[in-house]
Amino acid sequence: MQAIEKTIKLDPKFKYEVSEKPGGESVRHCFQCGKCEATCPIARFKEQYRPAQVIRAIMLGCREFALGSPTIWLCATCYSCSERCPQGVRFTDIMRVIRNMAVAEGKVNPFYKKTAEAIIQFGRTFDSPDFINEMRCDLGLPPVTSLDRQEIAKIIGELKVNRSKESLNK
Amino acid sequence: MIENPRIGVYICHCGLNISATVDVKAVATFAQTLPDVVVSRDYKYTCSDPGQEMIKKDVKEHKLNRIIVAACSPRMHEPTYRKLMEEAGLNPYLFEMVNIREQDSWVHMQEPAKATQKAKELVSMAVARSRLLEPLEVKEVPALKSVLVIGGGIAGIQAALDLAEQDYKVCLVEKQPTIGGHMAQLDKTFPTMDCSICIFAPKMVDVSKNPNVTLLTNSEVQEVSGVAGNFHVKILKKPRFVNEKKCVGCGVCASKCPVKAPNEFDMNLGMRKAVYIPFPQGVPAVYTIDKEHCLYFTKGVCKICEKFCEAKAIDFTQKEQIVDLDVGAVVVATGFEPFDPSSLKEFQYGKFKNVVTSLDFERLISAFGPKEGKLVRPSDGKEPHRIAFIQCVGSRDERTGNIYCSNICCMSAIKQAVLIKEKHPDYEVYIFYNDIRAFGKGFEEFYQRARDLWVNFVKGIPAELVEDPDTKNLTIRAVDLVLGKMVEVDLDMVILSIGMIPPKGIQDLTRILRIPRGADGFLLEAHPKLRPVDTPTLGIFLAGACQGPKDIPASVAQAKAAASGVASLLSRGKIRTESSIAVVNEDFCSGCKVCISLCKYDAIKMNEKKGKQVATVSEVTCMGCGVCASACPTKSISLRHFTDQQILAQIRALSPELCQSSVTTEQVNIKEKT
Repeated sequence: MQAIEKTIKLDPKFKYEVSEKPGGESVRHCFQCGKCEATCPIARFKEQYRPAQVIRAIMLGCREFALGSPTIWLCATCYSCSERCPQGVRFTDIMRVIRNMAVAEGKVNPFYKKTAEAIIQFGRTFDSPDFINEMRCDLGLPPVTSLDRQEIAKIIGELKVNRSKESLNK
Repeated sequence: MIENPRIGVYICHCGLNISATVDVKAVATFAQTLPDVVVSRDYKYTCSDPGQEMIKKDVKEHKLNRIIVAACSPRMHEPTYRKLMEEAGLNPYLFEMVNIREQDSWVHMQEPAKATQKAKELVSMAVARSRLLEPLEVKEVPALKSVLVIGGGIAGIQAALDLAEQDYKVCLVEKQPTIGGHMAQLDKTFPTMDCSICIFAPKMVDVSKNPNVTLLTNSEVQEVSGVAGNFHVKILKKPRFVNEKKCVGCGVCASKCPVKAPNEFDMNLGMRKAVYIPFPQGVPAVYTIDKEHCLYFTKGVCKICEKFCEAKAIDFTQKEQIVDLDVGAVVVATGFEPFDPSSLKEFQYGKFKNVVTSLDFERLISAFGPKEGKLVRPSDGKEPHRIAFIQCVGSRDERTGNIYCSNICCMSAIKQAVLIKEKHPDYEVYIFYNDIRAFGKGFEEFYQRARDLWVNFVKGIPAELVEDPDTKNLTIRAVDLVLGKMVEVDLDMVILSIGMIPPKGIQDLTRILRIPRGADGFLLEAHPKLRPVDTPTLGIFLAGACQGPKDIPASVAQAKAAASGVASLLSRGKIRTESSIAVVNEDFCSGCKVCISLCKYDAIKMNEKKGKQVATVSEVTCMGCGVCASACPTKSISLRHFTDQQILAQIRALSPELCQSSVTTEQVNIKEKT
């Protein structure tokens, strides 16, 4: 029976979890007018990306729907939705909260995982390939050198991002 | 003091409102121990009939001469109990009320023990005060049977008519050159589709012809002083440069006038002349010269209207005039102002020609509007076959500061959509909404009728409008939240369903009338449930949209209620004055006039008495605010019912320790000597 049932078990605590985190406070003001979605440049090109639905999922308590959706990684943080919202809901900030919660649960988009791994490893989103230094040389600029990996490791340690690192590796 | 105080104390449960938090039995037992308390009881609903009977019986049996009720706010029930005092044969000013609901049980719900302690302290303060209360004479003064109605829209006109019918003298003041307000601008009314001007024009004529009504158009109230029953009003009558008595409304002046200006009545969509009447049915049917556009006033030439006016009514020498008036009551019916959507950039109002407001649209389709009832769009005069409405523009929006719902826009949009579809079934009409609020009588049926006519209701407010620069056609981008899909619709015209905001000048009015506004900016009623058309100031009533967004039937109902409020206040021709007023001890008064400079109500005058200048308080005008009493440097003014002794006794009862500290005791002693 369970295998074919499609109903969602609601988690009434989920909305409080989101609103307790910095940036998540305004979620409760949403009255579902849809302006965030109508103004969203991503939603125009990706029909699965539905900001108003994400808010609805948070308020209703559909934890898996909100955190497990591959589309939460698409927000370009342009803040158009926050600008147009008549109720002061800071959707972009809420999206950041949702992403952090997803990361804490080990639900990370592979692209972000790769980026994060690169930062931990190189201190940058990517290590400088040779062709960049060739271009810089042509422009009379000094080459970009690789960063000190030990120092990066120390900074990462000080920043206490280890927890996220573990969850990245989950 | 009349006799030895014999006090009855009643602790009200207010159902569970108080008793769920405060231990009412403990408070009643405690009160029993206080000096001069003869009876102390708790009761479920003290304000109820059996509750009041119980108090009356106690007064008789125990010879009580003072009553204390610890219950809700005195704003709620002090008048109830003062009446009870009179019925029980006691002076109403020997009653004292303690608020243990709003100021105790409701705010300390989480701390019942502390709330009970606070209730005990409040009761002991009241007992200390009650012992020193003195009976005050209840006086009546003659009240004028005349009324000032501010605002000549549907609410003001209705209130004026109802009062005039009951033989009150009414002065109806309107700041525009003609009465009518926003209802005169509407084409049809929802949900019955009555022609607005057809049902309204007869009322405008009635009010102008009623012998009990004086119409002052092009006028504004400048000053209101005095109190209920005897207000003094100053009205500024602006010059219209046309003699109202001579003008016959023939319109020759306007036909000859060479200057054109946008007509505000038509939301600037049509033109009028510099000498004009805002709309053909305007009352009074008298023309007005608009000084800003008239060639004579701007360039000193022309006067062509004067030449052609057979009635010799044009008078360029007219000056501002101040009209003085004494009235018994005031009805405020200043209405609303339509929200200006140009601040909401996403809708491009004022930039895209084919984006109009719902009120613009009323004028566009009105038979006496700039297009004479033909549905055409502003950019090119073509018929708009594809029309969309956007709801909640300027309402329910934090960015505009208006978080309230404007009440009328849902039904107004549905009405306009039905009007379009009835005439042009082939047109496509969309209503982009957030919630459809069809709460009134016949509203839901009307919403159903719109669906029958194939009006498309889309749940989702659009956030973007794009204009084709060549055709001036529009594209709306919105999300249908039911489908969860983004949709785009090509349109010929977009109508913004704008909300209502408080009118400009409402701040001046609140200052002139000394009445408050609510958080939404509209005028505030005395009680949202039980006194919805009264203001906290006795004798000033509210009618229509000045109190909050309202449709026509609600405005009419409120106007009738306000008229009834005025009638029940003034019909006896007498009015009770406040007995708790300031009195001057003439022996002590040094004539320094500090009190005069502080009195907001102009209630204090200097008079020659006992060979010197002393302050005298007018019993009719004094509102009993107590500012003079607290400021008087010689302590020669005291406020009846709130004397220094009474207040200090209360303070001492609250905190005997505090009163033992040297400074306070000294102050107490000084005050007690005087």
